[in-house]
Amino acid sequence: MAYKAQFYPGNTSIAKNRRKHMSNDLEKLRDVSDEDLTAILGHRAPGADYPSTHPPLAEMGEPDCPIREVVEPTPGAAAGDRVRYVQFADSMYNAPAIPYFRSYHAAINFRGVDPGTLSGRQVNEMRERDLEEFSKRVCETEITDWGLAGMRGCTVHGHSLRLQEDGVMFDMLDRRRLEGGVMVMDKDQVGVPIDRKVNLGKPISEAEAAKRTTMYRVDNVSFRSDKEVVEHVQKVWELRTKYGFQPKA
Amino acid sequence: MAKTASVTDKPIQIRVFPNRLLQPQTAEKVLNEIDHVKGVIRMLINGKNLPRKVTCGPGTGADVNHPDRTVIHVGDCAFELHIIVGEILVEVEDESAVENLRTACERAFPFPFEFKRGHFIKRRPTLTDYGKYGFKSKTDESINLEDERLLGLVDPHAKLENNLCVVKTEEKS
Repeated sequence: MAYKAQFYPGNTSIAKNRRKHMSNDLEKLRDVSDEDLTAILGHRAPGADYPSTHPPLAEMGEPDCPIREVVEPTPGAAAGDRVRYVQFADSMYNAPAIPYFRSYHAAINFRGVDPGTLSGRQVNEMRERDLEEFSKRVCETEITDWGLAGMRGCTVHGHSLRLQEDGVMFDMLDRRRLEGGVMVMDKDQVGVPIDRKVNLGKPISEAEAAKRTTMYRVDNVSFRSDKEVVEHVQKVWELRTKYGFQPKA
Repeated sequence: MAKTASVTDKPIQIRVFPNRLLQPQTAEKVLNEIDHVKGVIRMLINGKNLPRKVTCGPGTGADVNHPDRTVIHVGDCAFELHIIVGEILVEVEDESAVENLRTACERAFPFPFEFKRGHFIKRRPTLTDYGKYGFKSKTDESINLEDERLLGLVDPHAKLENNLCVVKTEEKS
């Protein structure tokens, strides 16, 4: 019987969504073109060549190493791209993703990625063309709802604030906003204006957000209502504690 | 004996805390409704800063042009919002104004809000205020300020004129 990976315990909608995020089994909700994505990332001008930090690996003449023979470099690493980053902030009001599960999603499903998990934001560093492939996946699928999340390279403040009247998470730099029922972004992730308005699609409704979120909340699905998850967390805690216990002779 | 404490009466303070961060139009409507309530002494609005320029990161110095940083009119006064309004602190004279204030808020807010009594704006000058304004005289140790209602409305280190708005002056008979 072929082994099927099990990502997360639990029977609630939250646990199911967490499994979906971790396994990259995500529903595509919108289209973001490559040029638009490059513009909002803000690392290079759309259509420009990828700047590099070293020659392509094929031209470099790598040393004889069994690990290098086994591990195939990512396209970005093979081409010698720069390492660049993308950062997201998610509202605590039922945003689809949370920093931990963004990190699980990145680390499990993509190679050559360095995820950084913080309380209100999550940053991923990787080679530039790998970053664009990763960002496209994240931006187009249900892991990101542009009303309740935002691509924010800096000034991320907003995840723990009340939502604005229009249901959108507050953005101090006004990088994206609700215009005519759709989310529009006209600045890059660090707040520098870009030459286009990128259409990021309709934000999901409050009821839909409650269904799609990976966040346990008392006013939606509470953590304690998922017995299997509680049991799992307690087991991990117990084993970690026992493992760390070192009785002195 | 030197005279010290100057503010002795205790007006009622209310914190109005809406469920959402207010757009300028709603903030204007709410503030005007509150302004019309008889017995309101002073109001203080709090919220998250809307900067004029990007202050950190690679985009430092770029203009923000936040659409919510706009001029609103309250009573006969116009001022620019520097924040997205998230909380309104109101001080009223007596008990009868509290219910009127609640009704005014219910009329103006399109969503639920928290209405709480407590101590939110300072009533007595602190050391910093004395450092800024000083004593009235050697024998009168009350604060050297013409209108003590200004206390607690503005950070002692900030400029009054950018942050304070006198909506309605008392009519002199």
